[in-house]
Amino acid sequence: MDLTIVWHNICELLSYDKDAPMIFSSGIFWLLFILFLPIYALLKKRRWQMTAFVIAFSLYFYYKSSGLFFLMLVGTSLFDWGLSHLMIRMKSTIARKLCVTASLVASLGILSYFKYTNFFLWNWNTMVEGNFQPLDIALPVGISFYTFQSISYIVDVYKGRVAPTRTWMDYIFFLSFFPALVAGPIVRADYFLPQIAENRKASTHDIYYGFWLIILGIIKKAIIADYISQYNDLIFASPTGYSGFESLMGVIGYTMQIYCDFSGYSDMAIGISLIMGFRLSANFDFPYKAKNLTEFWRRWHISLSSWLRDYLYIPLGGNRKGTFRTYLNNFLTMLIGGLWHGAAWKFVFWGAMHGVGLAIHKASRPLLDRIPDVWPVKAISWAVTMTCVSLLWVFFRADSWNDSWLIIRNIFSGFSLDYVIPFVSVRYVWCIMMAVIISAHAMPRRWFDRMGQLFVKMPWIMKLVVFIAVVQTVIQFMSEEVSPFIYFRF
Amino acid sequence: MILEKYLMKRGYIGLWCILVASLIFFVVTSSMDTITIGNLELRNSGIMERLTLNPDSVNNGNNGTIATDTVPQVHTMKQTVDTTAQTILFIGDSMLEGLSPRMAAYAKENGHKMYTVVWYSSTSNVWGSCDTLRTFIRRFKPTYILLCLGANELFVKDIEKKRDRYVKTILKQIGDIPYLWIGPPNWKPDTGINRLIASNVREGSFFLSDGMEFDRTKDGAHPTRSSAAQWMDSIVRWMPRNAAHIIRLDLPQSQSARPDRVVVLQPKR
Repeated sequence: MDLTIVWHNICELLSYDKDAPMIFSSGIFWLLFILFLPIYALLKKRRWQMTAFVIAFSLYFYYKSSGLFFLMLVGTSLFDWGLSHLMIRMKSTIARKLCVTASLVASLGILSYFKYTNFFLWNWNTMVEGNFQPLDIALPVGISFYTFQSISYIVDVYKGRVAPTRTWMDYIFFLSFFPALVAGPIVRADYFLPQIAENRKASTHDIYYGFWLIILGIIKKAIIADYISQYNDLIFASPTGYSGFESLMGVIGYTMQIYCDFSGYSDMAIGISLIMGFRLSANFDFPYKAKNLTEFWRRWHISLSSWLRDYLYIPLGGNRKGTFRTYLNNFLTMLIGGLWHGAAWKFVFWGAMHGVGLAIHKASRPLLDRIPDVWPVKAISWAVTMTCVSLLWVFFRADSWNDSWLIIRNIFSGFSLDYVIPFVSVRYVWCIMMAVIISAHAMPRRWFDRMGQLFVKMPWIMKLVVFIAVVQTVIQFMSEEVSPFIYFRF
Repeated sequence: MILEKYLMKRGYIGLWCILVASLIFFVVTSSMDTITIGNLELRNSGIMERLTLNPDSVNNGNNGTIATDTVPQVHTMKQTVDTTAQTILFIGDSMLEGLSPRMAAYAKENGHKMYTVVWYSSTSNVWGSCDTLRTFIRRFKPTYILLCLGANELFVKDIEKKRDRYVKTILKQIGDIPYLWIGPPNWKPDTGINRLIASNVREGSFFLSDGMEFDRTKDGAHPTRSSAAQWMDSIVRWMPRNAAHIIRLDLPQSQSARPDRVVVLQPKR
């Protein structure tokens, strides 16, 4: 073995490569985590050293994903932290408001520049019939997530819900905390900052329960989501190339894929945090069990929907300004939520349609409340909700507006049950995966909790066997490249 | 038992030991030859391969050529065009999802029959260790065979030693039927699959796709549908000057078509 080649390859693996970002399902992350863990455990009791070490690791983690943009993260944190301290020294309300405004303008300005400049230029050129040349702007990974975190901090300090962190290091620890840095959950200042101050020791139960969540996340993301995506991608790449039944399977497949992909990432992030002694709030609560859209948004991407509620919907007036304003606020919140997902009209439409759906549900509530809550009604409610959610995912996923309609039209016009048996016989692994995830969704939450507790109590050697078996299964199923998380690009 | 209790009690040490033991397991298995449990062949984690891969000894998979431009080929032969209607058998891995509809459009335009056999996740050793190809040759009686294989074995270590006999078996099954082997669309440098195929095929029967640039789907491996169509166009444009056997392939009016028959084989796991 030539050690210079090994050294060269290690250096290459550790340096920034825009095509190979560091994500929790990549091998390089786990190699580094093996180095990270013992040092972290040793430094855990010494708060200052632990904080410095985690910040260094988090910034390196961000460097591996976004290159030199990690400097922008450092700059943002310095600016926000400085403003938060300036703000609490101000007696005048106007001056305090100016500080908040400056922070919001800076945070949202940076986000808008990187994420929406080309979208704006494209729309402008379409209106004036100009020749659109996109600017070469790379989107820093996770910018949408940490921008929302910095906004929550500055607003909470302004409102007096949290005190500004004593040191800048505590603030950048919060903003750059690597488990939640690139794809959430969106960590709220009032929830997380007290944990930094407390520096709670992770119990053995926490460590192994965190490990269980990581395994669960790996199964969801790297086995199920990545495998079923191969078929779903074919359908979305060729909207008219398949029968109606196959297209329907592709749409249902994507509905499950995006859940497994994103909730799998969240599980891993929550698990890694728990191992480190920090608790992140839950991000998903079996969203496809929802029987209406309002319930769906209480269960789906909870950290985003609660952020939008607290920092957008309520400041807009919430439900305090009459029925019409309630619907309008709801609609606007969802519209912006859609735009947060990406700079494209398809995301705006997706968000707007959810806004309309929420308004319709709110408006028809007095009527719905009169219907007895018996199981056929529950089944119909669930079916209607799932149909709406799945169809709207088509607009979210398809490459264009036209493709979305082609797929939906194909489902209704080219549907034939003749394709069922050939489909199941050819795509049987896909069907098994889908059956697993649908059954898992149908299971009561306490079963999952019990499985977690069983894993925690398992003998050490069994945990090792389970982990190796799961990782080997990932290797068996994986494509040669690790697929990025869907929410990674938001 | 004492160690077990200790590891369970000391959370961080216990977890760290699990991660280290797993790493050792995957490093050791990645340096071993193929491991099989019953009929299941365990795939390699590739850790050792990644660490010991000599960057100078592999092909560079990205030299900036786009899919519309055929990369320069070694052979420049001049053959007459066989204008008779052909029966084309197009076999291979999932890359056929993109190539086959475009090739079917060429076949339809030029009066050829075309049969496609897609075997997902297949490799040269999958095709070379069974008589599936021979069966389809008997069934469809092709006069021309197109193969696209190799994408699932870009990173196999010691590939020349491991897969040479399978490539030879595939070519033996094809026999005297004119064929063209389309090389895999490398998304990373390969460990020698292109070299292996090129060293076995007849002159003018291998299209090297390595070095072309593709728009890829989210998996990072498969060309998008439009990029795959351009890839097929490049192959067709390459044929008149380079292929050992040239069939009539005038540019079709439609972008894609359905082959006369598509057979889909399940991945072998």
